[in-house]
Amino acid sequence: MMKNAEVRIAKLFWKITFKNKAVFILTFIIGILLAYAVFTGWENFKTQDEIRAEYQEQARQDWLDNPDKHPHRMAHYGHFAFRPKTPLSVFDFGMESFLGSSIFLEAHVQNPTNFSEAEFSTGMLRFGEISIAMILQTLLPLLIFFLGFRSIAAERENGTLKILMSQGLSRKQLLAGKSLGMTLVMSTLYFPVILTTVLLWTLLQEMNISMDETYRLLLIVVMYFIYLCIFCVIAVIISALSKTSKTALTSSIGVWLLLTILLPRAGQSLGSYLYRPPSKAGFQAQIENDILKTGDSHNPDDPHYQALKDSVLAVYNVDSVTQLPFNYSGLVMKEGEKITAGIHNDHLKRLRGIYARQNSFSRYLAFLDPYMGIKNLSMALSGTDYNSFTDFQDQAEEYRYHLAQSLNDLQIKHISNTAKSSADPASRLDKRHWAEIEDFEYRPLGIGGAFRSELISFLSLLFWVLLLALILNRLSKTLKVL
Amino acid sequence: MKLLFINFTRSNNVKIGLSFIILAGVISLLVGKQHIEKINRSVDETARYQQEHIERHAEYNKDDLGLMLYYIKFSLVNSTPALNALSIGQRDVNPSVKSVTIRTLEAQKYDADLNNPYNLLIGNIDFSFVLIFLFPLLIISFTYNLVSEEKESGIWKIIAVQSKNPLGFVLKAFGVRLLVTIGGLLLLYAIAVPVLGIAPDADLGKFFLASVLYILVWFAICFFVVSLQKSSSFNAIILLTIWILLVFVLPAAINNDLQNRYPLPEALETTVKQRKGYHEKWDMDKELTMDKFYAHYPQFKKYALPEGDFSWLWYYAMQQMGDDEVSEQSAALRKKLGQRNTAASRIAQFIPTLHLQLSLNDIAKSGLDNQLRFLDETGRFHERLKLHFYPKIFGGAPVTSENWDDFKVEVFSDETTLSRTRLYTPLLIFIVVFNILGWFIFKKRLHRL
Repeated sequence: MMKNAEVRIAKLFWKITFKNKAVFILTFIIGILLAYAVFTGWENFKTQDEIRAEYQEQARQDWLDNPDKHPHRMAHYGHFAFRPKTPLSVFDFGMESFLGSSIFLEAHVQNPTNFSEAEFSTGMLRFGEISIAMILQTLLPLLIFFLGFRSIAAERENGTLKILMSQGLSRKQLLAGKSLGMTLVMSTLYFPVILTTVLLWTLLQEMNISMDETYRLLLIVVMYFIYLCIFCVIAVIISALSKTSKTALTSSIGVWLLLTILLPRAGQSLGSYLYRPPSKAGFQAQIENDILKTGDSHNPDDPHYQALKDSVLAVYNVDSVTQLPFNYSGLVMKEGEKITAGIHNDHLKRLRGIYARQNSFSRYLAFLDPYMGIKNLSMALSGTDYNSFTDFQDQAEEYRYHLAQSLNDLQIKHISNTAKSSADPASRLDKRHWAEIEDFEYRPLGIGGAFRSELISFLSLLFWVLLLALILNRLSKTLKVL
Repeated sequence: MKLLFINFTRSNNVKIGLSFIILAGVISLLVGKQHIEKINRSVDETARYQQEHIERHAEYNKDDLGLMLYYIKFSLVNSTPALNALSIGQRDVNPSVKSVTIRTLEAQKYDADLNNPYNLLIGNIDFSFVLIFLFPLLIISFTYNLVSEEKESGIWKIIAVQSKNPLGFVLKAFGVRLLVTIGGLLLLYAIAVPVLGIAPDADLGKFFLASVLYILVWFAICFFVVSLQKSSSFNAIILLTIWILLVFVLPAAINNDLQNRYPLPEALETTVKQRKGYHEKWDMDKELTMDKFYAHYPQFKKYALPEGDFSWLWYYAMQQMGDDEVSEQSAALRKKLGQRNTAASRIAQFIPTLHLQLSLNDIAKSGLDNQLRFLDETGRFHERLKLHFYPKIFGGAPVTSENWDDFKVEVFSDETTLSRTRLYTPLLIFIVVFNILGWFIFKKRLHRL
């Protein structure tokens, strides 16, 4: 008689849910919000992307327009790196608003990444931003809880649970059926929404999508489905454990608050409380001190450069640097750049290590809180996480170093040792060399990088699937009928 | 009334709710304390390193004042009132210290602080968060089943029959809950004031009164929803939906809108253009640069350009051109940020959560307004430094002519105050409107059983 009991329970649950008018109203509100999220996400992407591309081009044009001059002047002229927005940032804004968008790249100096949206925000940003990801991560689980809190508790309250059981339905079938029903309900909401989003997004991209992005998007669709399934099952479990539907509702709301509002903040607060990063002044002073210790090219009596000079003179067997067959100050500059860049990168690595330790609380919290798991995974897949940002910073720094050293090489090769200063006409280099240095172009991380950096988040979601299966299994033996 | 009070406070849910909010409140105070300590540490370190840094450069470049001033940075601190610990606002994003050399200001004005973006993304549990996000939940949990629970359990019939004034009974029940909530708030202030060393001044008064009014707003909203006399579950869902609209959806949607309505290409334009404004002068006729410089600062006409390839007079004139040639873009950026801010506070009047957050940030000097004034002051600070050092550099004064110990970190105090009418009116309107609505609906429906 009860062969397909699970499926029938699920179907019934689905039907009852969609008979409820309130469901339509809530779904409608969320639908409007999603449309708004797609719209503003796209607007923002388009505007920002155009602005950044325009000034990247402008900066390059300015660079190329430079007349003949001493290469070191060009090293100080420098260049800009503007961080392009990833197309999937339309889906998940992630940290986008808190990440700077432009770096000035010049010789000797590693400038900060400036102009984040947050620096110009009114303080409203504290309330968050509406993105498709935000709706799927926080609002849909709440809707699932609203739809699911009655699933078993109400049957118990009405006494219908007793009747079902006496008719030969097993606890296992009941739990499986209700979970399946919840998942069906969720899918009826989720899939149309996500399909519309993907379609819209593809259209807006003018169908111009790389394989890498396709994989990212597919993974996003699958991982969000798993994430929402987790909430469906949690809703059923809470309902099964509650005596009345009112307690089921209040417990569900409590769980939702804990998972999406409190735990994330608590975890990150604890992390930043335990690991203290240096102040900006401290950070820069440490770098300055290390440079003084290793070798300061601006100090005429610096022992490191004395030694360099002596060894070069010995190799070429001459008495003074003016007799060298290449430009000696170019060589000093090259050595200086190598030392300062190395020291800066060491300190930056240490600083990022501190940040990583602060963030590890949020990362491992995913085993307690699936919201953190999907949040991290979704940002990484959308290319709006911290890792994608540091990757940009690293590429920009690599380019800066390459720019400075290429110009030092030009100086070493083409500038005479007897030139008095950079203003000396004899020390001018033909401007055709400027175009030889290619423009900065950011190459985004592949999906492999995103996957590696968020392995823990991925595992945490798998862990949740297993954990809930175990709990369901256990409940199918111990569930109270009355 | 006394019985109502005892009955209410004995309930387990109330004890859990209250202890939870007190715990969250105490954590928020610790977070705020840590935030202030971090800023103070940063200020102390800046002061120490500034001194070391200046001493070292005075030693290294002892023969060349122009070269020394090429390197050294002077810092300006945005003073942080103790109230800042209660409403961190934008102070975790924006640096409270700006360090500048006398070179082009635009290239350094917006330099970002060192930050872990994950911390910024998740946000702080500061007192304003507890007040704006969590207190309403406590109020909702206290009141959502008033009347409806009595109706569901059948007690309402007895109350309706026995009491001459059932609305009076409802009001008393609300009054008890209001007293307990305000008690919780007072307790948190009683801890905050000594622990954070907050001065009992007008700002604290405003901060406190605004929080009380905000709590009254939520009581008014709950009173209105309860007056509809639906089931407990319905009330819970409706109130939570209102909460989500007010603390998530509306502010976030408005934020998206403002970002899109006021994009800031001026920021990038300024930074790209100032580079050109300065650097292209290396390859131009020196006279052109000097003419423009003398036109900006007629008082320096008396310093004539010396012979030779290079002079600091010409160099700093070139640097000045970096700023002068983007003054239009820079002003446009400043104007747009002002517009963003005005638009935000105008819309916020209709959304109590947003209004309170922006107002508390204003009182605690942690909003965009404060940041803009700090940036303006940074500009004036930079100008003062230039006007002090330019004549000495151009006149060939020796490095030793300055007493370098005098160059301490300077402090900027933002003295602007928020008007009380602007602060309280929107909240008062909300309280009155919802209470009147609730009152009428109650009157109409209360006797239905």
